[in-house]
Amino acid sequence: MNSDAKKMNVMEPINSASPEIARLIKRVLQAEADKLHTKQPRGINDDILRIIKEEVQ
Amino acid sequence: MKLLSIQLHNFRQFYGTTPELVLAASANHNVTIVHGNNGAGKTGLLNAFTWVLYEKFSAAFSSPESLVNKRALAEAEVGAPVECWVELGCEHGTTQYRMRRTCRGYRSETEISQGKSELSLQHAGEDGRWLISDKHLDDVIGRILPVSLHQYFFFDGERIEQIVRSNKKSEIAEATKALLGVEVVTRSIRHLGEARKTLEKELERFGDPETQKLVQKKQTLETELEKLTERQGQIETEIEHHQTLRQEVAHKLREFEAVREVQKRRDDLEAQQQALRDALEQSRVRLKSAISTQGYTVLLTNAIAQFRELDKDLKERDILPAKVKQPFVLELLNRKRCICGTELEEGSEHYHHVESYLAKAGLVDVEESFYYLRNHVDNIVDRQVPKFWETVDGEQQKMGDVRQTLSGIETALDNIRDQLRSSPSEDIRNLEKRHEEIDGKIQSLNREQGETSQKIKDREKQVEELRRQIEKHQATEERQAQTQRRVAATEQAIARLKQVQENVDLVFRADLERRVQEIFQRIVVVPYLPRLTEKYELNLIEKTTGQERAVPASTGENQVLSLSFIGAIIDRVRDWSRKDRQSQWLMPPDAGNYPMVMDSPFGSLDETYRRQVARSLPSLANQLVVLVSKTQWRGEVAQEMHDYIGRQYVLVYHSPKQDVESDFVDLEEGRYPLVKPSSSDFEWTEIIEVE
Repeated sequence: MNSDAKKMNVMEPINSASPEIARLIKRVLQAEADKLHTKQPRGINDDILRIIKEEVQ
Repeated sequence: MKLLSIQLHNFRQFYGTTPELVLAASANHNVTIVHGNNGAGKTGLLNAFTWVLYEKFSAAFSSPESLVNKRALAEAEVGAPVECWVELGCEHGTTQYRMRRTCRGYRSETEISQGKSELSLQHAGEDGRWLISDKHLDDVIGRILPVSLHQYFFFDGERIEQIVRSNKKSEIAEATKALLGVEVVTRSIRHLGEARKTLEKELERFGDPETQKLVQKKQTLETELEKLTERQGQIETEIEHHQTLRQEVAHKLREFEAVREVQKRRDDLEAQQQALRDALEQSRVRLKSAISTQGYTVLLTNAIAQFRELDKDLKERDILPAKVKQPFVLELLNRKRCICGTELEEGSEHYHHVESYLAKAGLVDVEESFYYLRNHVDNIVDRQVPKFWETVDGEQQKMGDVRQTLSGIETALDNIRDQLRSSPSEDIRNLEKRHEEIDGKIQSLNREQGETSQKIKDREKQVEELRRQIEKHQATEERQAQTQRRVAATEQAIARLKQVQENVDLVFRADLERRVQEIFQRIVVVPYLPRLTEKYELNLIEKTTGQERAVPASTGENQVLSLSFIGAIIDRVRDWSRKDRQSQWLMPPDAGNYPMVMDSPFGSLDETYRRQVARSLPSLANQLVVLVSKTQWRGEVAQEMHDYIGRQYVLVYHSPKQDVESDFVDLEEGRYPLVKPSSSDFEWTEIIEVE
């Protein structure tokens, strides 16, 4: 299989999600990326809960 | 991240402050070569990078507790601090950073000690202004180039094969996952799972919805209420009907000559009875009204006494009425002239003097309220209280009189009834009996009417209460539904991220493996193939027999494998983050822009491998700093890297040995010293730039 074609499909599950879910996932990934350098990211559970509550009304 | 410069001060061999080593970072000339003999400080320089960034050292770096230059310590007074620092300039995205790590050494008569290190960080934005960064330094560096990844980018070439040695595999696998975005996805899935648990707990707290039960109860009550109201209507009709019957009986009685007058008298008495009952009701209403509107006045005796005491006190102290009023003072200030004629310029002493009267002057509304209260109290005591008692006494008197009259009328009516009941005429007796029956029925209906009316009121109250409860439950249900939506969304996000995780595994891992294989095979001659396991661990296999089996690779091959791996990671991350914009959600910020600082990268390689590695390196990393000895910088390496070199430096080792043999390196630009005799008893290294 063409590797570029496969590559584009990596994020397919996010791209094909509803705008609400896609936004939620992207914000969660961003929050995790911001704290990736710490082994036990402080407050990450609260951050994610806040994101869910903000995105899903 | 791009490394811009590094400068050292009393760090290990480097006595005093070195010149600032500007590092080549342009697209075409991205290689900086630092030449130095063994012991001149190549490993020291590599560790200067890792110390300033992570406070970490490579395995070959001996005595990390002695960072401060020995000559500087020897020259300092006993107990006086000697500073040692490394300052690194770098660029990440559009921000430039300057970070300096400092520590102090102390010499006593017998030993040398070293304090803790401190890191300071400045950053400059696109406008070029430098600011002290208030962010947590480890956070900033962690985001630019995470500590778990540092061994990929700052390494000792002679030991680089350790990257693929088994005891390091899991550590390196973790770092690889972080770089490829696998770790971000894994953590997202884990933490979303935690969030879902919390949401589900919230859901439990809402309890079972009882709304349905409440709605049913309300419906039952409403049906009951309808029936009661209907019955109330029926009762009224029945009462009317019985009253008509009663009138008919009365009419018939009036037709009998013998009792006509008696019946007329009864009609008259009943009319009076009704009028008196109405009067009694009116009195009761008036009494109720007087108590609810005026009753409080008689309870004010103590409060009024207190108010009068206060009033008397204020009058005696001459506080009320106030002699100066606020509006008057304000008027003077606005007019800018006092009543004595003095000009009141704003800010002047006179102005402030008059202005100070604002605080002393009486507040108009307080004063007005006080006067109102004084009049009101007088009114209560002088008029309202007597009037209230007058009303109460009057109405009670009236009610007493009415009751007495009523009692007389009732007795008279009883007498009439007895008289008619014992009439010699059977017809009259029967009519009277009928009259009594109807009366009894009307009384019973009246009682039922009262009872039903009370029931209606009660049910209406209950329905209203239920309506409020249902509204409250519906609000809870809405919150419950919202939490359920959140749980569902979280589950969906987890499911989709798991798919992404699978995709990353399939696509990125396969792609990375392919790239490692390409680079490795371009360099080596052996028929071995690098394999990346599901756990992201790197192995070397061969399949000449048709079956895959792990091979015991030489140190040189493992070194090439490690370099291929690092190169492939940088290359793939760069490629994915640039080509596939969506990958930005997985990759670290500014992904793919990585520098590589390598100490003796050609350590155990023979000529063929050296040439291939030298050829591959400049294209693998965005920026390369290579620390080499004279023997490592051979023809083929220099030749392959020539076109990419942007900067070159030489570490000149000053030896205290008497009979030291000088050494040189011959570069295209001329001959540069590598070893020189020291002017003092100490060894130290000087850095010079190749012009």
